Amino acid sequence: MSTKEAPQQSRLLRGVHRTLTGLHPVLESLIAALVGLLVGAILMSIWGFHPWKAYFALIQGAYGGSYEWASSLSRATPLILTALTFSICLRAGMFNIGAEGQMYMGAIAAVCITYFTLPPGLHHIVGLIFAAVVGAAWSLIPAALKLMRGVSEVISTIMFNWIARWLALYLAIYVIVDPLRPEKTLSIPLTARFPILVPRTDLSYGIFVSIGFALVIYFLLWHTATGYELRAAGLNPSAARYGGIRTKRTMFLSFILGGIAAGLAGATIVMGLPPTYAVYGGGGLPQLLNMGFDGMAVAMVGRNHPIGIIVAAVFFGGLNAGGRVMQFYGSNPVPLEMVRVVMGAIVLAMSIPELIRLFPMAKKGGQKLIQSLRRATRGTIEEESA
Amino acid sequence: MSEVKALNQDGFFLRAERITKVYSDGTVALKEASLEIHPHEIIGLLGENGAGKTTLTKIVSGLLPPTRGRVISPKGAVRFASPREALGFGIGMVHQHFALVGPFTAAENVALSYERPFSRLRLTKIIEKLEALMEESGLQVPLDVPVEKLAVGEQQRVEVLKVLSRDVDLLILDEPTSVLTPLEVDELFNLLRRLRDADKSIILITHKLKEVQDVTDRIVVLRQGEMVGDVRTTEATTERLAQLMVGQAIEQEAVELSDKELPVRKTRKAVDRSGKSILHVENLVARGNTGKIAVDDVSFDVYAGEIFGIAGVEGNGQTELVESLTGLRVPKSGTATINGINILGIDPRQIYRLGVAHIPEDRWELGLVLPFTLAENAILGVHRWKEFRGAFSVLKWGKINQHARELMDRFEIRAAGPSAPAKSLSGGNQQKLIVGRELAKDPAIIVAAQPTRGLDIGSAYYIRQTLLDMRGKGRAILLVSADLDEVLAYADRVAIMYEGKFMEVCSPDELDRERVGMLMGGVTAAKETA
Repeated sequence: MSTKEAPQQSRLLRGVHRTLTGLHPVLESLIAALVGLLVGAILMSIWGFHPWKAYFALIQGAYGGSYEWASSLSRATPLILTALTFSICLRAGMFNIGAEGQMYMGAIAAVCITYFTLPPGLHHIVGLIFAAVVGAAWSLIPAALKLMRGVSEVISTIMFNWIARWLALYLAIYVIVDPLRPEKTLSIPLTARFPILVPRTDLSYGIFVSIGFALVIYFLLWHTATGYELRAAGLNPSAARYGGIRTKRTMFLSFILGGIAAGLAGATIVMGLPPTYAVYGGGGLPQLLNMGFDGMAVAMVGRNHPIGIIVAAVFFGGLNAGGRVMQFYGSNPVPLEMVRVVMGAIVLAMSIPELIRLFPMAKKGGQKLIQSLRRATRGTIEEESA
Repeated sequence: MSEVKALNQDGFFLRAERITKVYSDGTVALKEASLEIHPHEIIGLLGENGAGKTTLTKIVSGLLPPTRGRVISPKGAVRFASPREALGFGIGMVHQHFALVGPFTAAENVALSYERPFSRLRLTKIIEKLEALMEESGLQVPLDVPVEKLAVGEQQRVEVLKVLSRDVDLLILDEPTSVLTPLEVDELFNLLRRLRDADKSIILITHKLKEVQDVTDRIVVLRQGEMVGDVRTTEATTERLAQLMVGQAIEQEAVELSDKELPVRKTRKAVDRSGKSILHVENLVARGNTGKIAVDDVSFDVYAGEIFGIAGVEGNGQTELVESLTGLRVPKSGTATINGINILGIDPRQIYRLGVAHIPEDRWELGLVLPFTLAENAILGVHRWKEFRGAFSVLKWGKINQHARELMDRFEIRAAGPSAPAKSLSGGNQQKLIVGRELAKDPAIIVAAQPTRGLDIGSAYYIRQTLLDMRGKGRAILLVSADLDEVLAYADRVAIMYEGKFMEVCSPDELDRERVGMLMGGVTAAKETA
């Protein structure tokens, strides 16, 4: 065996190494967020805005008080769920880009509960189940195509997003439309609306659905045999098969769970969104638009871990909430689109470690740094022992 | 010739000077190692796994930068940015873990090592060159099949051909013989000698003492990153080399192993074959990945308390046979039963329930989920068993970690703890983890495919002893190995497999090596006399 040097030294070195080349996941996400904000700042100054003022406004608007926190959390609610959709499937080795469409279908399904009356509580549960089942059913078609015909799930889920979008729009405009206000669907009945958590904000009890589901997924993935199988199949399908795991079943299961999450995301939006508790067909489903795609960014920053996703969703929710404040901030009105630029830059920055691996120049620099650090640490340890 | 040699003593091809390599995780792989490489010599680089052999050659061939020290050629210090650059300089390395692109054919893989690999003209030229080279070297491979569909042995031949096709001056081979037949090894060695006589330099990395003594001119021994010996082959004795290689601790074992006078032969006993047949296989036919018949009408029994060995060059149907018996491949026809219950075409999970343990051939691809922790890997395949899984499919992590710790103790797996990722373990410890996990199932039959491939002497010895223990406990063992000495020494009965068929099934005592070599090459006694 190769010999190891003094343990404390190697531990330290391993820490340094991890920091520089294979960054610790949490740190990697943090740095990506900072890089994204920096890129946003540079762009703002190019366009003549004052970046620090703008970010001050953004942070104020995102986390400046209980109202702001509530707004951020409210925007995080569906993002947690759509991020889970992507992450569960990725953990099982599948690229499910279909959160967007599955969420549309979930939202429409949730609206459909207006057609019957139930006592509160039960009505909520029925609404959630409805949305979850429809979301899952929508994800099952690409899953079945993949398993039976080998159709790439990336392409089929993207195409199903479009089908879902126009189907949802059609249903919202022609079928479940509010006869009095044709720009929106029927409203969720009072018995099925999530109560508002913080008065005069739009943060509803839906956040508990999101966080609860994230915790359930965490438990499922790391504390049950089913989750173990799912992760094994995602990391090494051959070894999973050797271990008696039916990889087709784990793929299928991941799609079902992902569809449930996306369907629930649609439900939390509709059932917890004052003032109308309805989907707007007019303007092309503005409340739902991009929630599924943003979820993928959240999943990346959250490192595909349910707990990480909750944190990342609160950050992205904060960007969305704070962005509104930023654009009205006194003498320095930065357009809302800048927030999306920041989000894009963050997603790009997430691939920096990959870039380091691609460009040996950066790697060499890093290695030199490690070597000099190593020499330095060796020096100190010798001093200590002397 | 002596003149040439004398001349070459002054001019060296490459010299590594006081090389120290510390990997970025703090592992010291080499300590002040120096090596001078002359034209016209074969250097044997001897050492256990993890002794630093591969690291040293990677530094020499420019794949890794040294932490301290330098590599110089007569023209000055050298540093290569890529293996392709090193190839241009005349240094080619055949790695133990192959660097082949799976969906590409052999010819395309060879083309990849050239500049501008994908012009049509070049590919045709390369194919011509390869065909000539195959003729000359005796290394035969199909050139038009994706390499992922070739057996491991064939893939290695592609790697050797790839380097040879570049007319290198220094050829480095990392454990090249582990997947070859004795005949092929002889052929390879003849080829190496011819290359040496054409004034090339060759470095042969191995831990097989017999090989280095057979073919090399000079033997360099590494132990734990330190150069502990640099001797002329003619002056080296087996005992001395074994001692240098493994140090004092398990010297005796090493010598025993190196002499191939393995202790097992003495304990080999006639198994009562009127008794219990655990595994019964009849007329098994299975297709390989290419659709070709890979297992061709094979019938045999494995009895309780015996080791049934299957020897043969890799790629002759052993992999497909093992896969068919362990639920990983649906065979075309035939029957196979364990204690009378059919096992063909059913799930691996159900097969494990019948008391089958499977030590797979490819420990990285099949045996382990490398990013998983040791504990997670310790329950792969048994994760649904009651010991580890409670109500609602909830995993009992306490018990799993305890199980992992027990495996670590019982099978001497050296790791930081149950939560260490499997990829952080050394090859030997990874294999011990697999063996431990499989034997902990308390199986009726153990299917062990290449259980000691690429392991150092200590780990290999340990795993072989463990298999013997299981035999002593009345378990049936199916041992498939490309290491002929291993099969001949440990099996109670041995079958030689060639092109999907058993050439002969008998006691290893009835076979001498020449006969085995012929059988592995498809030469039967009948043909011989005819």
